[in-house]
Amino acid sequence: MVKVITDSVSDITPDLAEKWGITVVPLHIHFGTETFLDRVDLQTEEFYHRLEKSKSLPTTSTVTSKEMAALFDGLSEDTDEILGIYLGTKLSATYEMALKAKEEVKNKRCRIEVVDSRAAIAKQGLLVLEAAKLAQEGKGLSEIEPYIRESIPRVHLRGSFDTLEYLRKGGRIGRAQSLIGSILKVNPIVTIEDDGVVGPCGRERNRARAIEYLYNFVLGFKNIKALAVEYGTHHDEAEALTERLSAVFPREDIILSVTSPVVGTYTGPSILAVSVWDEPPGMVR
Amino acid sequence: MAAGKLYTGQELREMFNYSTRWLEKSAPAINALNVFPVPDGDTGINMLLTMRSAIEESYHSPDRSAVDVARALAQGALMGARGNSGVILSQIIGGLAFALEGEQFGGGNFAGGLVQGSDRAYRALSSPVEGTILTVVREAAMAAKEALTEGDDLTFVLEAAVSAARDTVASTPSLLPQLQEAGVVDAGGQGLYTILEGFLLYIRGEIERMELIAPRMIAPDTPLSLRLEDKPYGYDTVFIIRGEGLSLDKIRKRLQSKGNCLIIAGDEKVVKVHIHTLKPGKVLEYALSQGTLHQIEIENMDDQAQDFLRVAQGKPPSSKIGIACVVSGEGLTRVFRSLGVGFIIPGGQTMNPKVGDLVEAVDALPQEEVIILPNNQNVILTAGQVKELTSKRVMVVPTRTIIQGIAALLSMSYEDNLETNVQEMEEAIGRVVTIELTRAVRSTTVDGMKIGKGKVMAIVDDKIVASEEDHAGALHKALSTLDVSDEGVITVYYGGKVQRDKAEGIEREVRGWYPETQVELVYGGQPHYDYIISVE
Repeated sequence: MVKVITDSVSDITPDLAEKWGITVVPLHIHFGTETFLDRVDLQTEEFYHRLEKSKSLPTTSTVTSKEMAALFDGLSEDTDEILGIYLGTKLSATYEMALKAKEEVKNKRCRIEVVDSRAAIAKQGLLVLEAAKLAQEGKGLSEIEPYIRESIPRVHLRGSFDTLEYLRKGGRIGRAQSLIGSILKVNPIVTIEDDGVVGPCGRERNRARAIEYLYNFVLGFKNIKALAVEYGTHHDEAEALTERLSAVFPREDIILSVTSPVVGTYTGPSILAVSVWDEPPGMVR
Repeated sequence: MAAGKLYTGQELREMFNYSTRWLEKSAPAINALNVFPVPDGDTGINMLLTMRSAIEESYHSPDRSAVDVARALAQGALMGARGNSGVILSQIIGGLAFALEGEQFGGGNFAGGLVQGSDRAYRALSSPVEGTILTVVREAAMAAKEALTEGDDLTFVLEAAVSAARDTVASTPSLLPQLQEAGVVDAGGQGLYTILEGFLLYIRGEIERMELIAPRMIAPDTPLSLRLEDKPYGYDTVFIIRGEGLSLDKIRKRLQSKGNCLIIAGDEKVVKVHIHTLKPGKVLEYALSQGTLHQIEIENMDDQAQDFLRVAQGKPPSSKIGIACVVSGEGLTRVFRSLGVGFIIPGGQTMNPKVGDLVEAVDALPQEEVIILPNNQNVILTAGQVKELTSKRVMVVPTRTIIQGIAALLSMSYEDNLETNVQEMEEAIGRVVTIELTRAVRSTTVDGMKIGKGKVMAIVDDKIVASEEDHAGALHKALSTLDVSDEGVITVYYGGKVQRDKAEGIEREVRGWYPETQVELVYGGQPHYDYIISVE
């Protein structure tokens, strides 16, 4: 069976990872001289607690190609087909590390494919999850890998924020830079565009309207295949939005999750995001 | 407190070497940023060549101790310094050399060196300008020094310096208008940040990562808007004087009147001169009287400016659709700018712009599709003429008030096309109500309502609905004619003649009337109206 591996920015929670047999590589997060493994020895709640008290912003780093190669080697003891789906190259060097790791593995008999998701958080996560489901159905790597690649533009992400300062300071603001600096209080809405760069969508005047935007955004899709709602610290709003969205997609299939600490470094606590996989009927898979 | 790790001269050399390779990757992007002091588009290259010259000299030097390597680096940087930013960089490296002593160095030496380098850089300039590499080195130095109070580990000190440099670079547009108008951060500041980050990555041992990824360009913390200037820039003139008993002060004094952006650095034997002048001949003639001249480089900055414009105009704008609008009042102008308006034509009520002004604005925008927001009844017709006079696709959203203009802007979608945006903006205009408060200059009767001289009139979307003794009274009456929802937003823009505390009083009243509604007070600085209020 194909083994699926990803990084912690996909926001695949330990429960989901266990259920679908997904290997999640934790990225690193540094507060001053202290280093933590994303969602392994630092959980989101504790992270925001530290963030509030910390004088300077934490930084993050990815794994080395050596570490990634060791993971590939470990997986190859149980399988000869591995699919890695990673955080977009415009946001991190994780994919490049995986690409290098492919060359460094000891077990040359195992086939490894790595995919640049050109995405992050649940947009990446939904792709990973689908790959794992297909693997459990018994599909092979040569079938799953191209399908995941071509599906990337069909997964749509929208995130609302109180401020884009974290994204800017973390150097991941991309084209959404045009939403920065408003004198009026606004809640910017951003996306990750098809080339993997963060981009602007628009501005709403307050959180209530930003949530309305996200709700209407999802309602605009007629063929929802998968749906996720994510948040930083605003659990109740995310829960309420999920309830409302259950009118268009089964509640038990909507993935409601908190973003990981590494993600939180770049989004701050205010993020509320939806990811929608839109798959028109007749799509070959 | 455990003492931090110490590093050798060889490691210092390598740190510079890796950082230079790191800088090299983003040199073209840094070139494209440069607008200050003139758009000469070669800051990245200048800093890179300065660093290379520093390293080359350090490899020629046979000595291995940290202090000897640092001195060689400083000497090489000074001799090879190119351009404004290169000379300033050489001063910073000179500061580092001064603070290092002995075989090895650590965080303490580095922080001291940055402080020293910052001082030297400021001293080298005849008139230091904030919002440039100078501000960045000063803030980085201060952060490094402050970090020392918690630990003298070089990694820790560098982290503090890099983080401060990053924040300062992002804020350079708010310190320097030229940068804000071009919507870029300072090129020299970005270069210095990249160098410091290169140091940090090397010290952290992240060499593999440096090879795989490119340095990040820092985004400005204010939005973009483009304005171009045409005046002659003259010649970028750089050379070295060698002699005996040269006086930096004397040379500085004599050259000060011959141009601008003057930088003088060096000692009594070697002096590096950098100046922007219309008459390079005169400058060289004087310099010859002081000693022999070396490495003379003169470049026509007007050519460079043209190159820069090509790069700037070729750069994809952040939005496919450009927006030009007519606004008066400095506060309101800032509000429009902060919402991403590319071009603002001053005017409105009593100062209606000409069609030509609007055409010029549309043509100056980098986008091929432009929306005009007239923001005044009397400008709508004029705006309608523009599309006949330009090759660009122009549409007018007939905003009759400033408030409608802001509502239209807020509804701007970065993903939709021109037509859809115009349609959405028109709908947004329908969802907002404008209230204007002003005192009657004479007694009159309008719409059957008698208004005494000096009374405060409230005008709701062109219709006078109230005439009261004071602003709060008139506003209360005006608001009571509307349906204000809890999810709504009331924004109060106060005029140029209204004092802040008076305006805050009005804000408190409104909050009292509508405790559930979001209320914002913003300085508009508009003429004529004491208050303009939007109800969304």
